[in-house]
Amino acid sequence: MIKLTKIRKSFGRNEVLKGIDLTVEKGEVVAILGPSGSGKTTLLRCINYLEKPNDGVISIDDFTVNCKRSGKKDIHTLRQKSAMVFQQYNLFRHRTALENVMEGLIIVKKEPKESARSRSVELLEKVGLGNKLDAYPSELSGGQQQRVGIARALALNPEVILFDEPTSALDPELVGEVLAVIRKIAKEGITMIIVTHEMSFAQDVASHVVFMDEGIIVEQGNPRDLFRSPKEERTKQFLKRITPEGIYSI
Amino acid sequence: MKLDFGFIWTAFVQLLTAVPTALAITAVSVFCGLLIGTAVAVIRLYKIPVLYPIATSYVTFIRGTPMLTHLLLIYFGLPIIVDSLAEALGLSFRSVSIPMIGFAYISFSITAGAYMSEVVRSGLLAVNQGQIEAAYSIGMTTTQATRRIVLPQAFAASLPNLSNMVIGMLHGTTLAFTVSVVDINAKAQIVATTNWKFFEAYLAAAIIFWGLTIIIERLTALAEKRFNLYNRGGVS
Repeated sequence: MIKLTKIRKSFGRNEVLKGIDLTVEKGEVVAILGPSGSGKTTLLRCINYLEKPNDGVISIDDFTVNCKRSGKKDIHTLRQKSAMVFQQYNLFRHRTALENVMEGLIIVKKEPKESARSRSVELLEKVGLGNKLDAYPSELSGGQQQRVGIARALALNPEVILFDEPTSALDPELVGEVLAVIRKIAKEGITMIIVTHEMSFAQDVASHVVFMDEGIIVEQGNPRDLFRSPKEERTKQFLKRITPEGIYSI
Repeated sequence: MKLDFGFIWTAFVQLLTAVPTALAITAVSVFCGLLIGTAVAVIRLYKIPVLYPIATSYVTFIRGTPMLTHLLLIYFGLPIIVDSLAEALGLSFRSVSIPMIGFAYISFSITAGAYMSEVVRSGLLAVNQGQIEAAYSIGMTTTQATRRIVLPQAFAASLPNLSNMVIGMLHGTTLAFTVSVVDINAKAQIVATTNWKFFEAYLAAAIIFWGLTIIIERLTALAEKRFNLYNRGGVS
C-alpha cells in the first residue's frame, strides 16, 4: 500500500503541489489525469524522490519517509521500492536492451549474473522484444524503447511502478503496442500509478482515477463514475475539452 | 645550401632513442591528468563543499600560467618542500635523489589535470539528465550512477577532446629539456652540435612528432568506434 500525506512541493515561489493526500491499495492501477501544469508529473516524481517534496509523508509498504527529515539512506530505500517508466524512455544509451534490464538486478539487487540474465531475457520476451536483446537504444523505435523501459522497471520487482506519460513522446501508430504491454502487466496485479493523457486507456485499465488541477486533487473515484458523472465543475470542463461529447461512453 | 638527406636519416635513427622518454612523459601526464581531471570535474560539478573552491582555483591558476612556468616552479619549489618535510620528519630522503624526469612527470601531470578537468566536465555535461534520473529510479546510489552510467558516456563524449590533449602533451614534452631531460627535440639539438646541421636534425624531429601524432589520431579513431558503438543507430 502507498500512502501520501500532505505532499507539498514548490519550485521557487511557484507552489506546484498544495498538500496532496492519496492512498493506493496493493494491486490497484491508478490513473492521474489533469491539464498540463496541474502537478501530476511532479507528484509522480516526488514518490520516488526525483523531486524532493518540501513537506509531507510518503509511505510505501511498511517504509515511511518524512519529507522534512529525509536522509540519504531513507531516499535510497524509498527509491528501491518503486520503479519509473519515463516519458522520454531514458534507457541507458551505452547499454543494450538486455543490459538495460540487467543493470538494476546486478548492481542494485546484487543478483548473480546468470539468474539476472535469464530473468531479463524472460521479461524482454514478455514485452515482445525477445529478438532485440542485443540492440542498443539508438537502434530501437520509440515504442520498442519504451517497452524495454517497462521491462527494466518490472525487473526490480518494485512495490509500485510509476508511469510518467509513457506514450506522450511516441508516434501515434506506436502508442498501441506500449499500451498493450501496460494493460498486460496491469492484469497481473502489479500496483501502478499512471500519469496519462490517454483517456480511453485510463478508463479501460485504471481501477481508480484521480483528477488533478492546480496542485490539488479535485476529484477521485472509480473510472466509471468519474468519466460518466463527474461531480466537480473543473472535472466536467476538463473532460468536455478533451472529448467532444463531454462524457465518455463505456 | 644543400639539404643533407643522409644526415636527416642519421638524426632520425638517433632521435628514435628519445621517443620512449617522450612517450613515457606523455603517458604518465595524460594518465595522472585524467585522474586529477576527473576528480576535479566531479568536485566542481557536484559543488562539493571545501574542495570546490580549491578545485576551482587550481584550474584557473594552472590554465592561467604557462606549462613551462609549472615545470620551473616544481623544479625549484618541490625540493624545498621535500627537503624541509624530510628534515622535519627525520627522514634521510633528500630531493637530489628525485630523478630529473620525475619533475617532468609531476609538473606535466598537474598541468594536464587542469586542462583535462575541462575535457571531462564537457563530457559530463553532455550526458543527459534523464540518464541519471533513470539510474536513481532503479535504486542506484549517486556513486553507482556516476561510475556505471555517467562516466562511461562522458568518456565516450570527450574522446575527441581527449585526443587533442594527448597530442598537446606529447608536443609539450619538448619543454622537459629545461630540466635536462633529453626529449626528442633536445636529442635533435645534441645530435646537430657535432656538425651544425640543425635544420636537418629538427626536420627529423618534426617527422617523428608528426608520425607519433598520426598514430595517436588513428588510435583515437579506433577508440571512438569502439566506445561510441551505441550511437550506431544514428537516431535516439
